[in-house]
Amino acid sequence: MMNIEGTHCIAASREVVWAALNDPAALCAFIPGCESIEAHGPNDMAAVVVVKVGPVRARFTGRVKLACVDPPNSYTIVGEGQGGIAGHAKGEAKVRLVSNAAGTVLTYVVTSQVGGKLAQLGLRLIEGTARKLAGEFFARFAARLEPKASAAPREPNGESPVSAR
Amino acid sequence: MNAHIRNEGDWVGASVNRKEDRRLTTGQGQYFADKKIPGTLHLVFVRSQQAHARIVSINTDAARALKGVVAVVTGADIRTQIKGLPQPVVVPSFAANYPDFWPLAVDKVKFHGEPVAAVIARDRYVAEDAAALVEIVYDPLPVVTDMEAALAEGAPIVHDGWASNEMFAMNYTGGGTPESEAAHARKVDEALAAAAVVIRRRFRVHRCGVTPLEPRGAMATWDDDGLTAWITTQRPHIDRLALSDVLEIPSDKVRVIAPRDQGGAFGVKAPFYREPILVCHMARVLGRPVRWLETREEHLMSVSQERDQIHNIEIGADASGRIVALRDNAIADNGDGCEGVYWGFVMPFFGAAVLTNAYDIPLCDIRIRVACTNKAVLSPARSFGAFAARFALDRAIDLLARELKIDPADVRRRNLIAELPYTTATGVHHDSGDYAKVFDHLTTLVDLKGFRAEQARSRAEGRHIGIGFSVGAELSGVSSAVLVSMENQPGFGAATVRVDPRGKVQVFEGDAPQGQGHETSMAQVVAQEFGIHPADVSLTTGDTGTTPFGSGTIGARGGSYTVSAVANACRALKSKMATVLLHDLKVEGVPSDVSFRDGRVFLTADPTQGKNFAALAERIVMAPLGLPAGMQAGLDQTEFFEADVPMLTFGAHAAIVEVDPETGIFKILRYVASDDFGTVINPIVVAGQVHGGVVQGLSNTMFEEFVYDENGQQLTATLENYKIANAADMINIESHHEAGSACPHTPLGSRGLGEGIPGPVPAALTNAVCDALAPFGIEVNRLPLRPNTIWRLLQDKAASKG
Repeated sequence: MMNIEGTHCIAASREVVWAALNDPAALCAFIPGCESIEAHGPNDMAAVVVVKVGPVRARFTGRVKLACVDPPNSYTIVGEGQGGIAGHAKGEAKVRLVSNAAGTVLTYVVTSQVGGKLAQLGLRLIEGTARKLAGEFFARFAARLEPKASAAPREPNGESPVSAR
Repeated sequence: MNAHIRNEGDWVGASVNRKEDRRLTTGQGQYFADKKIPGTLHLVFVRSQQAHARIVSINTDAARALKGVVAVVTGADIRTQIKGLPQPVVVPSFAANYPDFWPLAVDKVKFHGEPVAAVIARDRYVAEDAAALVEIVYDPLPVVTDMEAALAEGAPIVHDGWASNEMFAMNYTGGGTPESEAAHARKVDEALAAAAVVIRRRFRVHRCGVTPLEPRGAMATWDDDGLTAWITTQRPHIDRLALSDVLEIPSDKVRVIAPRDQGGAFGVKAPFYREPILVCHMARVLGRPVRWLETREEHLMSVSQERDQIHNIEIGADASGRIVALRDNAIADNGDGCEGVYWGFVMPFFGAAVLTNAYDIPLCDIRIRVACTNKAVLSPARSFGAFAARFALDRAIDLLARELKIDPADVRRRNLIAELPYTTATGVHHDSGDYAKVFDHLTTLVDLKGFRAEQARSRAEGRHIGIGFSVGAELSGVSSAVLVSMENQPGFGAATVRVDPRGKVQVFEGDAPQGQGHETSMAQVVAQEFGIHPADVSLTTGDTGTTPFGSGTIGARGGSYTVSAVANACRALKSKMATVLLHDLKVEGVPSDVSFRDGRVFLTADPTQGKNFAALAERIVMAPLGLPAGMQAGLDQTEFFEADVPMLTFGAHAAIVEVDPETGIFKILRYVASDDFGTVINPIVVAGQVHGGVVQGLSNTMFEEFVYDENGQQLTATLENYKIANAADMINIESHHEAGSACPHTPLGSRGLGEGIPGPVPAALTNAVCDALAPFGIEVNRLPLRPNTIWRLLQDKAASKG
């Protein structure tokens, strides 16, 4: 079991942030390594994400569901994925939005569990990777939504999700 | 008999370099992985990533479609093709719940690492790639990884159809009925209530085990001769019978060969495992050789895990430290319990049975419960089942001593079994020797009095040194009396000795040693008996096609049972050769009038009358004319040795450490063992067994730990995460056996040794650390013993005082 928490300030209104958080195409653009997200119904999506943890590179296919949806304040995004021989992962992120003078404060609490080869790598590798991915996600998210930033998402430092594919 | 005085030409007791070592140290060992047959297919297992889950579906289409893949099989495929386990040949004679299982999971998986499917392909690369394409959909079930939780009401049940997770339970001393057990428990209660001092503690020993250099493997061929299987195993003859029963192949059509070099086994290659069953089955189905070579990750996930016991000890003593009563409510975590021969629980069963160790404890109430959990099954590891029990009792005795303010060495000495033979409350037979003498030798070697003075001086200077003791009365072979009930197998040692017409000797041993130096020790015994050179003796082991039936290399059988069979076979052949010599010389006499020495066979009274050993052998084998009336030709002799009583080997260990109370970091300054090995055949081999056993014990105590998370995910399946001691972690280990005495129950006076060596280690080391930190009053009652645990205990103690 691993927990990651974070807060990001985004220079956009809460409604804009909320809309992006509920748009599969937008989410796909922000999630590092995301190959596709398809809506299967209200609050129910299928996702394909490539993740690299240390020496293990895995293509996770799984379901993503939204729960406790309270627009435009908060939701819980619950995901579960199979990475084939690399292992499996499941987790949830509680996301909360609060307006302030500069725009929106987004706080998240992620809890996740991994299994299989991923688990055996040792949590120290996985936790570092998870933090990096969460950081990348919100960096892109903020870059896209903030009006002054360039239109293209910023590539984070290090290995970009594109080259990881 | 004094083992330490040798005459010219005496090979028993000589420090002969091991015959095995040249090839092993120059890269010429022939391990399982070196055995290759052209056209072999390679089998790779797909193992469960879930600890407990229903198998919803397995899609093998993509794997089958890969070029080079020959077959993909699942549990659903094979459950109708072969018998599952249990089968009687690999089931002990104990009442227990024996789970049904097949080589591949059927319906559900029960631990992270359980084989679910297997891919057989033209080469290993293709097989690995295809294994990654097998898609398994699981429906996860609640997981139980804690033994006490597993035994609690309402726990997730590991095996379908079971009412609880209790696989095995035993009350060793209660008499067998609820009434007698209750009455006996009351008696122990009363004795404890009347004792001057009582220690009640819970001792917890973590999951750890042994790790041979070469993991497991199996390769099988199927042809007109039937099945030939090369298996990394300590018991080829048992595997042969089990394969015959499970695969329903007549036993005469099954030959099992254990590779001569296996990189060690230490117990982990003793069970009848599921993987070789599938390899053999697929060789028959496909009509082609099939081979599986385990990866280290598979090995650490699915086998080599032992210990994992809790001992709830109550021990009472009088004011002099003499123990009056002992109670233990032990619990063990057996994992899923799916393993032929041991079923995981035989180790903890045995550990509790030998709990009282070498101590004379008149009144005992000993019980055990063994739980199934969603972990890998326990597989045997050197100090079979006893590692945790040894720790618990020898820690408890130290705590008693501290309570009574008597030196722990004195309390130990006072409670050692004084008169042999002796039978413990649980029925363990102690045969011979002088335990007190061996222990006293240890306290002399470490200069206990001098050490205590030095300790006092050091403390005054702010240095914290400590000494810890422990003992072990360990198996010296396993008699049929013990092994038939425990594993449904005979205990005899078996050997064939063949003298050829050139005077060379071939020995065939039914067991399958994996590093114990049998090629050297057996040759020394043969050379001693026949008066020839050990270089003229060769040893063949582990092949059911050429060796006599034996139960396998287990429980320190080499120096006790096997070598005795070899000696007796030599003596029978000597009698025959002597008889022919007397007959040919036309001399009246008996075989004992004839000597075998320096390559000659001659009349002791007149050494000029005799023959070269080789010439006499040639005369008997190649020219069997005019032999004494009624004598058969040939010089082949098979002997089955069974000692008249079960036998043990006694040893005492001491560790001296220095601990830094600021950090908890400790350094081992000395490690000394004093053992009774009876007549020592080769001091080099004996020292190697002691060094290796102590290192494994220290490594288990300080480093090794299998970790499962709360979801049953095994997090320690690489040698990065499962730390094993290396040379730099170790110190010189001092091994002494001068205080030993010849065993009266073996022809050479030798005792078996090696299996139990790690047993006393954790208590010796932990007692030393606690002795060093006595001014702080901390107690270490769970393993592993690491600086951070010591530091935490010191912090907690300081906080509770502050």
